[in-house]
Amino acid sequence: MTQVGVDRDSPARRPRPVPLRGRHGPRRRAWVGLVFVAPMLALFLAFRFLPAVGAVWLSLTDYRLSGRWKFVAFDNYARLLQDSLFHQSLVVTLTYTLIFVPLTVLLSLGTALLLQQVVWQRGFFRGVFFLPYVTSIVLAAVIWKWIYDAQDGLLNAVLGLVSIGPIDFLGSDHSVLASIAVTSAWKGFGYSMLILLAGLQAVPRSYLEAAMIDGASAWQRFRYIVLPQLRPVLFFVLVIETISAFQVFDAMYVMTGGGPVRASYSLVYFLYDSGFKFFDFGYASAIGIMLFFIVLIISLIQRRLVGRDD
Amino acid sequence: MANRSAARLTLPTLLTLTAIVTVLPFVAMVLVAFAPPSSQTFPDAFYPSRWTFDNFARVLSSSDIPRWTVNSLLYSLVSVVFVLLFAAMAGYAFAKKRFPGRELMFWAFLATLMVPFQATLIPSYILISRLDWVDSYWGLIVPTLANSQAVFLLRQFIGQLPDELFEAAEIDGAPEWKIFTMIVMPLIRPALATLGIFVFLWHWNDFLWPLVIGQSANMQTLTVGLATLQTQSVPINQIMAGATITVVPSLLVFGLLQRYLTDSITMSGLKG
Repeated sequence: MTQVGVDRDSPARRPRPVPLRGRHGPRRRAWVGLVFVAPMLALFLAFRFLPAVGAVWLSLTDYRLSGRWKFVAFDNYARLLQDSLFHQSLVVTLTYTLIFVPLTVLLSLGTALLLQQVVWQRGFFRGVFFLPYVTSIVLAAVIWKWIYDAQDGLLNAVLGLVSIGPIDFLGSDHSVLASIAVTSAWKGFGYSMLILLAGLQAVPRSYLEAAMIDGASAWQRFRYIVLPQLRPVLFFVLVIETISAFQVFDAMYVMTGGGPVRASYSLVYFLYDSGFKFFDFGYASAIGIMLFFIVLIISLIQRRLVGRDD
Repeated sequence: MANRSAARLTLPTLLTLTAIVTVLPFVAMVLVAFAPPSSQTFPDAFYPSRWTFDNFARVLSSSDIPRWTVNSLLYSLVSVVFVLLFAAMAGYAFAKKRFPGRELMFWAFLATLMVPFQATLIPSYILISRLDWVDSYWGLIVPTLANSQAVFLLRQFIGQLPDELFEAAEIDGAPEWKIFTMIVMPLIRPALATLGIFVFLWHWNDFLWPLVIGQSANMQTLTVGLATLQTQSVPINQIMAGATITVVPSLLVFGLLQRYLTDSITMSGLKG
């Protein structure tokens, strides 16, 4: 970038003019800053802070569609803890997370490593892997729902060539979450791949060259040099993918409607149904608060784990 | 030596195979969209000689896709304009101005990043219904303009501009609004371009908020429309034709600005 107003080469030759004002320019009038921040601030107060405070308050009431409400203290939370649907949605969300996160991290790490090793057409391949990321999860879900279809699906047609199946991927409670996780991983791995690729390229070449001279194998170089260097980036990816897994909804809404028999009924799906199917707004808000704490705890754990490294 | 040349071939092959598997769902979507209505499955759909535009014509006439496209475009483009404008203004104030409550405000903005959107879905909806904005463009667009990521990115970018520039402009007696439009905005154009692409894609691909707010068929966006289309008994060829239509703008943005997108993710960690 070009330097403006500062002559870097000859600070001594040319005396700088005596500054007329302080380091931050003329005495700024406070209202100027406030005016500039005002539109965004108003939007935030109305549509971020008010709903955040509202969520806490609503979760302590029995607010219904009619707008009538009374204060019920922690009744919604007590009800949640005993609600088998809440337990089911927690189990589904956890199971989904346990499948999705390793899958997507391995996929993005694998493609990042491949891209780093192979120089040939790197930009092109990077673009290809990133392609699904720019599309919507709804589109991914619509395509993959057809791919998984037991009668007309692409996957069963291919498996049929080697006399396997047909398998009802989305219709069986054993395979439904894994099938959805594959769809989400396909849609989103390009993002984590880019982050990991940047991390890989930051590993000093001299370390790797020194290890090669010492006769370290490819695996040893990865295990003892690349992986430790990559740890902070890997943690970042792990956390954002975990958080996104806990918010899964779109793919399930489109592909299975939460089924079969609530086998893919996630926490956000439960929140959505409580609010917009049963109009139990107080109860749905309590689910939202639970979601907030889960995400917060994941972030805090990450901060501790990464903080210990530095 | 033989071992090394084998490795030299293995990795590119593996890379190519992974790339083929990655684009295969898109290819299958397009093939089924162009296939004659009777052949929806592999390998029937894979004969280019029998391609037809029938499915596109039918899905366009039987569904509200044109209207949904207009809604999606409005939702995305209006949001891009106002998010960029308001975020640049706020970013400028946070980066270069002193005013009371600045630190507190900035940390409050930061804190909202920790709250998942779904956690405040219900109160946001109640607020919109109290404003009588349900099923309207106001309800769809206005709440999504409060975008903290945009404020952070632009604050960071504007913070890197030299203070001398603003001092010189003030000495020359330029009014604040002129400084903003004639100095700040042109200088942060690269950041605005990148951010604009992301805001566009976030809105174009958004689902839960338009689902909740757009209740009549007229107010649905393409993602919501596509999701409802496939719950009705619309033939798969037509659904894929509709899906192909929805993906065109994303692909255009991607094709034209791929470098921008991928570079900015590695630099700023923007996430949709």
